[in-house]
Amino acid sequence: MTLTYYLVLAAILFTIGAVGVLVRRNAIVVFMCVELMLNSVNLTLVTFARATGTIDGQIMAFFVMVVAAAEVVVGLAIIMSIYRTRRSASVDDANLLKY
Amino acid sequence: MIEAPDLSLAALAPLLFVFGAACIGVLVEAFWPRESRHPVQVTVALVGTLGALVTTLLLTVDFEREITAAGALAVDGPALFLQATIAGLGALSLLLFAERALDPARSAFVVSAAVPAGSPRDRELLTVQRVQTEVYPLATFAIGGMMLFVAANDLLIMFVALEVLSLPLYLISGLARRRRLLSQEAAVKYFLLGAFASAFFLYGLALVYGATGSVRLGDIRSASLAGGTDVLLVLGLALLVVGLLFKASVAPFHTWTPDVYQGAPTPVTAFMAACTKVAAFGAILRLLYVAFGTAEWTWRPLVYAVAIVSMVVGAVLGLTQTDLKRMLAYSSIAHAGFLLTGVIGLGAAGDGSGLAATMFYLLTYGLTTLGAFAVLTLVRDGDGEATHLSQWAGLASRSPLVAAVMTLFLLALAGIPLTAGFTGKFAVFRAAIEEGAWPLALVALLASAVAAFFYLRVIVLMYFSPPAGAERGQGPTVGVPGMPTTIVLAITATATLALGIVPGSVLDLAERAAIFVG
Amino acid sequence: MTDFPWLLLMIAVPAVGAAVVAALPKGRDLLAKQVALGVSLVVLLLAVLTAIAFDTGGDRFQLTSSVTWIEDFGVSFALGIDGIALVMLLLIGVLVPVVIGASWNDELPEQRSMKAYFAWLLLLEAMMVGVFAATDVFLFYVFFEAMLVPMYFIIGSFGGPRRQYAAVKFFLYSLVGGLIMLAAVIGLYVVSNSQLGEGTFAFDALRQLDIDPGVQKLLFLGFFIAFAIKAPLVPFHTWLPDSGSEAPIGGAVLLVGVLDKVGTFGFLRYCLPLFPDASRFFAPFVLVLAVVGILYAALLAMGQSDMKRLVSYTSISHFGFIALGIFAFTTEAATGAVLYMVNHGIATGLLFLVVGMLIARGGSRQIGDYGGVAAKAPLLAGAFLVAGLASLALPGTNSFVSEFLVLIGSFPEEPVFTIIATVGIILAALYILLMYQRTMHGPARGVLLQEDPAEPAPGTGGATAVLTAPRRSLRVLDLSRRELAVVTPLVALIIALGVYPQPLLDVIEPAVSATMDDLGGIDQ
Repeated sequence: MTLTYYLVLAAILFTIGAVGVLVRRNAIVVFMCVELMLNSVNLTLVTFARATGTIDGQIMAFFVMVVAAAEVVVGLAIIMSIYRTRRSASVDDANLLKY
Repeated sequence: MIEAPDLSLAALAPLLFVFGAACIGVLVEAFWPRESRHPVQVTVALVGTLGALVTTLLLTVDFEREITAAGALAVDGPALFLQATIAGLGALSLLLFAERALDPARSAFVVSAAVPAGSPRDRELLTVQRVQTEVYPLATFAIGGMMLFVAANDLLIMFVALEVLSLPLYLISGLARRRRLLSQEAAVKYFLLGAFASAFFLYGLALVYGATGSVRLGDIRSASLAGGTDVLLVLGLALLVVGLLFKASVAPFHTWTPDVYQGAPTPVTAFMAACTKVAAFGAILRLLYVAFGTAEWTWRPLVYAVAIVSMVVGAVLGLTQTDLKRMLAYSSIAHAGFLLTGVIGLGAAGDGSGLAATMFYLLTYGLTTLGAFAVLTLVRDGDGEATHLSQWAGLASRSPLVAAVMTLFLLALAGIPLTAGFTGKFAVFRAAIEEGAWPLALVALLASAVAAFFYLRVIVLMYFSPPAGAERGQGPTVGVPGMPTTIVLAITATATLALGIVPGSVLDLAERAAIFVG
Repeated sequence: MTDFPWLLLMIAVPAVGAAVVAALPKGRDLLAKQVALGVSLVVLLLAVLTAIAFDTGGDRFQLTSSVTWIEDFGVSFALGIDGIALVMLLLIGVLVPVVIGASWNDELPEQRSMKAYFAWLLLLEAMMVGVFAATDVFLFYVFFEAMLVPMYFIIGSFGGPRRQYAAVKFFLYSLVGGLIMLAAVIGLYVVSNSQLGEGTFAFDALRQLDIDPGVQKLLFLGFFIAFAIKAPLVPFHTWLPDSGSEAPIGGAVLLVGVLDKVGTFGFLRYCLPLFPDASRFFAPFVLVLAVVGILYAALLAMGQSDMKRLVSYTSISHFGFIALGIFAFTTEAATGAVLYMVNHGIATGLLFLVVGMLIARGGSRQIGDYGGVAAKAPLLAGAFLVAGLASLALPGTNSFVSEFLVLIGSFPEEPVFTIIATVGIILAALYILLMYQRTMHGPARGVLLQEDPAEPAPGTGGATAVLTAPRRSLRVLDLSRRELAVVTPLVALIIALGVYPQPLLDVIEPAVSATMDDLGGIDQ
């Protein structure tokens, strides 16, 4: 069934996002990786909606988009505030809180 | 034709109260003159949370379990008990937010978060008597999200609630007035890792939806009964649990906890430690027992393992800490492990005393840890709170009362009898042993012995060491708390003692509340 | 008379007294002392009245009362005493006023208030009474653990130079033991839940349980480790010398005299009746530990130069005797062991007090810093001698009766262990007499030596005196009237109980033989 391809693609995107969060150092890029993960979830949801023949999954995708938008607002605000102080968005530079 | 969804306004009243207060708070922020805004905001937030507390208590009087809002919300015993806990602890945290007597600049929060830290304007603002009031609606929203979280009967609602409680927390943990860089850094860390964890939760949601065709907890249960062992379902469950364990700061998903607890303003840390823990565990309990109660073989080993890891990591790493806030963060990780011991203690059929025990533990831990952080806000040096251990040396000789109250909280966290902490620990360990998980209980007991060592270290410092900086006359000062903090300390200390000496009625309440609907 | 809540009062009076003393305004030290002494004397009176109300021929547990405490856990606030608990209550009643009297003029570390010290002492007394009077296992556990807190503060706030280390070590050892016991307590509850239909902690109900031998062994170990740490038996003993030597004298007396007896009391009250099969299974191991403890601690005691440490080690050795008596499983030996618990509390208590008085005069704990004291302070030396002789169980002193009973009772069952244990008696004579001889007799020497013309204040010590001064003699004050008042009751008890121990034996024997019945009765 061709729907499997979509699911596999979504899984690959999710993995790319997750790995990106773990290895990238720039807060903005990390944040984009999180967004990538959320969007891969959207793809999964829509695919499953198609597979089960209901629209629940599509509605959920809308919810996810709204929440993601809210998250962007909050996230960028926080990253902005630290960037204005430090002139850098690297996660490595943020090292006051080390063990 | 579309039918209007069933909606029980009475059952939703607590949530409506809090969210209503939050929205009013936003309007106040926009329209009320700045000079007199602070008392108004505090009043609105307190009315909202206390109103929610009262309405949840009223709901329990004539109590009928029901699922409402088109099946999205479950208003049952655990939901009401945890909502009341969150509302109560939230109101106490808001009182800590509102404390104005301690900091010479009258508030623990930055005046204008948009001004870069360390800039000339920032230095100028540091001594300004103006206070920032956005934190109150934000915190109220977070409390509302938490109360929704524990009542969510639907994974999607659970996700929305998770975000509603997390987003304001990300923001307010970055709003410290002093040590702003530390605070902002904590916010960034919390945000990135939090968003990462919610993505996991969301992916789990999608997989469960794919496996069962529904995100309603009850439907998932029946589908998993019929379908048996679906790989998709198990994977989805694992991802959901990881997302929730992150919020509950369970090791190995705890890495953010020490940093955020240390960097965030102390009232916010207290709020997070007490309320977020309750909310996250409420959701974990509901998810595991309502949706996956029949498939407990899938998650029991996982929970068993992370419980052990969490207790060991929390207790052992806690030993090496020199900062009190970090130490309490590791203590919170260890306590998350103890709580999971209670989660294990609920039998397959939903019997067993695990649920009641975990809920009671959440209440006692919330009160105790809130009190401990409240004491932390009192001890200050020139640059805000003095949280380094060495600065607490000999505190008892200078302020015996503060030291005595702190000792009470530390003994409770260590689980010494006649304090609330012991009753809670006893309840969860009993539940675990009843379910045959005595090796886990034994690990938990040993971990509490290790953890007791670092609590004890603080007591040793306060009582048995010569005062810090006494010879140079520059030790930390102990602030005289204003009305709000005094109220918080009085309530938490009294409750910590009372729940240790006469816990009967509250335990009974938890016992009667401990049946999920679904 | 038996319906009167004697036991509850014995817990409540010192607890309330502690609160009152703590609440007194700063600087009113004398008032605090007087209140504390008054409260402790009231408790002594209550203990005596309790003893009068106690009917030696009556039920096993008397003066019982029970109030539901935490319904969900099946916990009751259940009090009641058998003969064993009664004699321990009497011991507490006697020792606490003595300790308060002895601590009257203690020099505390800087910035410590006498008021807090006495408040903690009274709170400790309330907890100790509770531990012995509880007939609910949960309640027992609560007192067992809560008792640590006052003792911890007594050692940590008012002790010697290494008090922080000693306090933490004491607390952690006891806490670890207590937590292991907690697991066993909950396990016991779960077993009762499956056998009786509802969980209970009531001792009388738990005694009826028929526990699977495998489970018994685990639960026994849980309780045993906690009690063995408390008692302490040998591999778990290392905290006692530190705590005993760093604690202030009053704290040390209560620690060794009463607190540690909770361990041996626990063996008799909980380990044997609740887990008879496991007790029999583990008895050989315990006996080995006990005998090793007797010899090992005695040898270590001989090597000590610090008097307080020496006395602590002698206690460990004595605890070996008590454990031997309990785990020989004969009524005679166990009765001897209980009597030993009382006698050891009195004898070692007195020894600690006298050593403390000497240390207060010289400011040093080293044996080598003293010599020839007897010539100048005959009363002090006399009290020292009585305490020492009681400690080495000379016939005519109280300890002789109990040690003899333990040995003669154990011999038929465990001849080998008993014979080895006897060596401990010889060692005891050595370490006690050597300490006495070195400090009290011989040429005058040490820190108390001072230049003749100088008129030093007592207690401040002469360590700074010029050592090259040609004519020096010992400056030491004999016992003051207060000290005499403290020492006399204990000396009297040592002699009285040595000559006529029968009343105590009459009280102890029925309780012990009931315990042996629970065990399945090896001898009848």
